[in-house]
Amino acid sequence: MEMETPLQAMARLKAGPRPVIGCLPLYPPLELIHGMGLTPVVLWGLSDAVPQVPDADRHLQNYVCSVARRLAQFVIRDGKDLIDGLFFYNAGDTLRNLPEILREGRALAGASPLPLFRMHVPMTSPAQADSSGYLKQEIEALIRSFEKQYGVTFSETRFAESVFLYRRMRSLCLQLEQAVAEGRMGFADFCRTLMAANFLEVSEQIALLASTLDGIGPPSATDDASVRVVVSGILPPPPAFCEMMDQAGFVVAGNDLAFMHRSYAHAPETWADAADYYVKFYKSHFPCSTLLFSSDRRVDAIIDRVRQAGAKGFVFVGEKFCEYEYFDFPYLEKRLRDQGVAVLAVEISMDDTVGMETFRTRLEAFKEVIDGGGRNGNK
Amino acid sequence: MEINEKTRAGKHLTELLVKTYTDIHTRAAAGAFVVWGAIIVPAEIFAGFDNVVFCAPESHAAVCAAKGVGAAQCLKAEALGYSMDLCSYARIDIGCFSDGGKESPTMGLPRPHLLVSNTNNCSLLVKWFDVHRRDMDIPHFILDVPFCYGPQQEKDRDYILTQFGDLIQTVEQLSGQKFDRDRFYEAAAHTASASMDWKRFMACAEHRPSGITVFDSFVQMAPFLIARGTPELAAHYKILADETEANVKAGIFPVPDEKYRLLWDNIAPWHQLRKMSTRLAAMGANIVAAPYTSCIGAVEGSYDLLSFEENDDPLWYLARVQNHSVCPMGMDLRLSSMGPVIEKLGIDGVVFASNRSCKVFSVMQMDEQRRVREQYGIPCVMIDVDHADVRKFSQENVYVRLEALLESIEAKRAV
Repeated sequence: MEMETPLQAMARLKAGPRPVIGCLPLYPPLELIHGMGLTPVVLWGLSDAVPQVPDADRHLQNYVCSVARRLAQFVIRDGKDLIDGLFFYNAGDTLRNLPEILREGRALAGASPLPLFRMHVPMTSPAQADSSGYLKQEIEALIRSFEKQYGVTFSETRFAESVFLYRRMRSLCLQLEQAVAEGRMGFADFCRTLMAANFLEVSEQIALLASTLDGIGPPSATDDASVRVVVSGILPPPPAFCEMMDQAGFVVAGNDLAFMHRSYAHAPETWADAADYYVKFYKSHFPCSTLLFSSDRRVDAIIDRVRQAGAKGFVFVGEKFCEYEYFDFPYLEKRLRDQGVAVLAVEISMDDTVGMETFRTRLEAFKEVIDGGGRNGNK
Repeated sequence: MEINEKTRAGKHLTELLVKTYTDIHTRAAAGAFVVWGAIIVPAEIFAGFDNVVFCAPESHAAVCAAKGVGAAQCLKAEALGYSMDLCSYARIDIGCFSDGGKESPTMGLPRPHLLVSNTNNCSLLVKWFDVHRRDMDIPHFILDVPFCYGPQQEKDRDYILTQFGDLIQTVEQLSGQKFDRDRFYEAAAHTASASMDWKRFMACAEHRPSGITVFDSFVQMAPFLIARGTPELAAHYKILADETEANVKAGIFPVPDEKYRLLWDNIAPWHQLRKMSTRLAAMGANIVAAPYTSCIGAVEGSYDLLSFEENDDPLWYLARVQNHSVCPMGMDLRLSSMGPVIEKLGIDGVVFASNRSCKVFSVMQMDEQRRVREQYGIPCVMIDVDHADVRKFSQENVYVRLEALLESIEAKRAV
């Protein structure tokens, strides 16, 4: 199946009847936005759509992560006509500064002003006083903002229908992840599919994921040389890196990628109303370094995931300048090594579009460490 | 004017800092309940307890950097696996804690019973304090303060107030001590009084030549961070303001031959205070103020002090000023608080210090710089700094740019 590029997909969505809402960061209230007749698109994973960032560089220093720089380039110039509004919530210090920067950038680029929607997700720890009431207010205010801006109306019934669609989409992601773990699908193909799905409307996402799932074969014959690993980070590794992992004989038995497993791992089964849904959604979200309240659970959840996946190795793909990940990593690494799990840490930066071959040697060496049952690889 | 042994305020500052850090250690050793908190966490709340000690790791990291041991502490954290891209305050603090405070000018900080971070200055403080939570297995209270793109909203203030109440209960439960509202009220009043004298001190920059440099205000800010809510803080700022006003009257100025009046936008480069103030003074340049220090006691988007009498509830007052410190507010608010400083102080040029260790302060400076140029018609320059890691500071690159700024000011004057 020929996949659209992100820009093609978004141009098609923009031409449709529903206003397109660019969302950031990774865990926005997608069901709510969709249920109100809008199309949410998480503006993440834009590396293919936005290879260069000259306009963003007029507004952001070069020590800002590539995610924010590409996002800025997209909103200011490359995709400036492809969205009808922007939604932000508070995860990330750079991101919280972005709304006004994007407003300035668009004005300078001659683009029309965009409606901005914001929500503050409480970050208090679970041991503290319950902040559900505040989040409910935020959700209700967000609904009113969308209604006012786009003349749409909210209904719990349509919200529930959207929840059903997103649950189906997440379930398919999990099934594909399982297919990768079983060696039925390469990690590179999996990442490529999910990256493409990100820029589709949820029904289209379901169609793409379901057809991909239908198209993959039975488990390949057990390859004794394969090594099971869990991959972690914010974004999936670059395609070339993923292909090298497949070629080197790694089976990605699970992932802890913010863009992937952390996003689709969990959603509430029951809820009283939309506000209640999101109280549960964030409270029980798969732990992420950017969701500060989930910190207590994060390392144990990852270790549990590694254990359940039967992984011998853990590949951390760090996004250069993503401090959220880097504050957690030393402790996570220590805990994993204590469990006898081998750890490989690589860092991907904005400029890593060439020279990816240097990672091949590291991946091969890492596999040898695990194969040899070395210091951190007790096979 | 740097910490100068010849000035009463300079001597008093040294005595106050030594006394405060000594007290912290002494009281902790004697069994006080120890809190490590982010600098914007309202320390006055802890003063409402009989025996709670408040320590500010950020301020301690700045002291380490100013005393020349910042990079050495950073190296220790990096050896533990912490990326060099992380905030240098955090690396200093983690490095320092890793070996029990060796090389720290204050012998480190006493081991805490409770960590209190916040999300307003920067949410990475939460990640930083989580490192300690894991290491020490102690509770970590997160004070979650919504970012302001406009004036602080009532719903957000209520949310903050609820958390203040929760924090008080948490300390009561963990320390076994009872919160005393009267004692707390006194503490808030001390801070409010100190803030008024701080503003009096800052106002000495309005004189031409200025009665102060920004380096004075950076250094003199320390007590506000570690001794808030104490009578000593109020007494110190009274001494500082009285003496500085007297100096202005007597014609004593830190840069007597002041040709260029500049504004600094960001946290201090702690490792460069003496060098930079000396070198700039030799060029007739005086950085007279910084939003970072002028914002104390104000609300988001404002330069003016918020009157404590405006509302009798000190908790309300403290909640109202939770967004004061530049970082927890958006670009429009930052510019609206910077504008009066530029106009009131007759600023000739602005130095935007792009600080690799403080993205939350720095990311948006490129647009701020453009808007200040457009709105006020004054030259601006952006320099690269790191507030506490001297290894990320290129002295000559910075001075080339600062000299270019002064040339731009001259060129503008010649027109």
